[in-house]
Amino acid sequence: MANIKEIQDRIKSVNDTMKITNAMYMISSNKLRKARKMLAETEPYFYSVQGMFSRVIRHVPVDTQDIFLDKHMDIPKEERKKGYIVLTDDKGLAGAYNHNVLKIVEQHIKSDGPNWKLYVVGEMGRQYFMNKNIPVDEQFHFTAQNPTLSRARKIAARILNDYENQDLDEVYMVYTTMKNSIVCETQFSKLLPLDRKDEKLNGQDVLKSTSGAMQEEFLMTPSPEAVLDNIVPSLVTGFVYGALVEAFCSVQNSRMMAMDSANKNAKSMIHDLTMKYNRERQGMITQEITEVASGAKALKRAKEAKEQRDEMMRREAEAMEEEEGN
Amino acid sequence: MSTNAHTFRLQVMSINGVFYDDRCKNVILPCIDGEMSIMAHHEEMFLAIYDGTIRIQKEDDSWMEAVVGIGSAQVANNRCMILVDTVERPEDIDVRRAQEALEAAQEKIRQKNSIQEYKMSQAAMARALSRLKLASKYNLH
Repeated sequence: MANIKEIQDRIKSVNDTMKITNAMYMISSNKLRKARKMLAETEPYFYSVQGMFSRVIRHVPVDTQDIFLDKHMDIPKEERKKGYIVLTDDKGLAGAYNHNVLKIVEQHIKSDGPNWKLYVVGEMGRQYFMNKNIPVDEQFHFTAQNPTLSRARKIAARILNDYENQDLDEVYMVYTTMKNSIVCETQFSKLLPLDRKDEKLNGQDVLKSTSGAMQEEFLMTPSPEAVLDNIVPSLVTGFVYGALVEAFCSVQNSRMMAMDSANKNAKSMIHDLTMKYNRERQGMITQEITEVASGAKALKRAKEAKEQRDEMMRREAEAMEEEEGN
Repeated sequence: MSTNAHTFRLQVMSINGVFYDDRCKNVILPCIDGEMSIMAHHEEMFLAIYDGTIRIQKEDDSWMEAVVGIGSAQVANNRCMILVDTVERPEDIDVRRAQEALEAAQEKIRQKNSIQEYKMSQAAMARALSRLKLASKYNLH
């Protein structure tokens, strides 16, 4: 019967797909573990860089003219050239991961004025913007797979270069972090210019800090700008690397969850299909039995009828013989 | 007598991990205009450091050398923290790789490049040179 064959084929194909999703699940969990370990190894360095940076910022003279601290207050907010670093993945099959990132980018593109530039990491994002005819930076070709430090360094160098050449006034980063092992959050954070932690320094608090507790004096050798210039690249590299790894962890986690639910769906599909298959098969057997039984019955009836007919004929013959004898 | 009267805590860190975290007597850092030596109870300061070698005098007076990349140092409260791009012991230096990197950088500098590429090649050359210098000093290869 055609139907039963169809169901069988369907079960087989669902099974094959499940093998793939199962393998992807295991690969993702393995990659996630590796990436987490990598991040943990580099964390002490980046925390120290952040600590040192905030300390430098606290002690940098207020009148230091450094490009990384320049807020471009002279340019209206809408006209500042913004750069967005967008971290997507190279593949789909990770639930809403890519979609969430791209949605946020599109919102900002629409609302943040005409001067923006996209630096997209990952093939999914690149394809998406290309299909929508949204220009992305052509030379910025980085994969999201296996985040490495050298890649983070190259990305940071590229961004810092554009920033120093004043092609960008502000740099933002759109990426995903793992809030916990279930929830991933899409982040939109500012990378450059750097925020002075105590922004109020220009306002009231400056009095407090000078009149209040004695602040330790730091010597900046050779100059505050040089110190900043040496720290900022490590800070940016650290941030980019952290974001790359976080995004990589998130995508693996999303993929794990997506594959897990795919596995569950496949299992319930197989269950349903098996039920259907068994029912069909049972139906077929029942039908066959009925057919055989009714066939046998018909045969039996035919046989009986024949016997009856024979009997009748025999009796008739006997009767005729008797008549002849008389 | 306190043994650490003239020592201070030194931390040297790079992206690859913590390189040195112990007390020491003296550390010599490469700066833009020469070298700078930091001893215990140094004045509080921030320091920009550049490609070169650092030398650390440990508590037992033995010296330890390492190649560092660009970075910065912070001295405060008799503690010194050095954060650098890369840090390598002389025995970990791969001379062949450094040599190849040097040649590649020289090649690149000769070509007409953008300023960014030129700067990157220059930095790569400085790193390779400081590695080679230290490795040849130790005559390891």
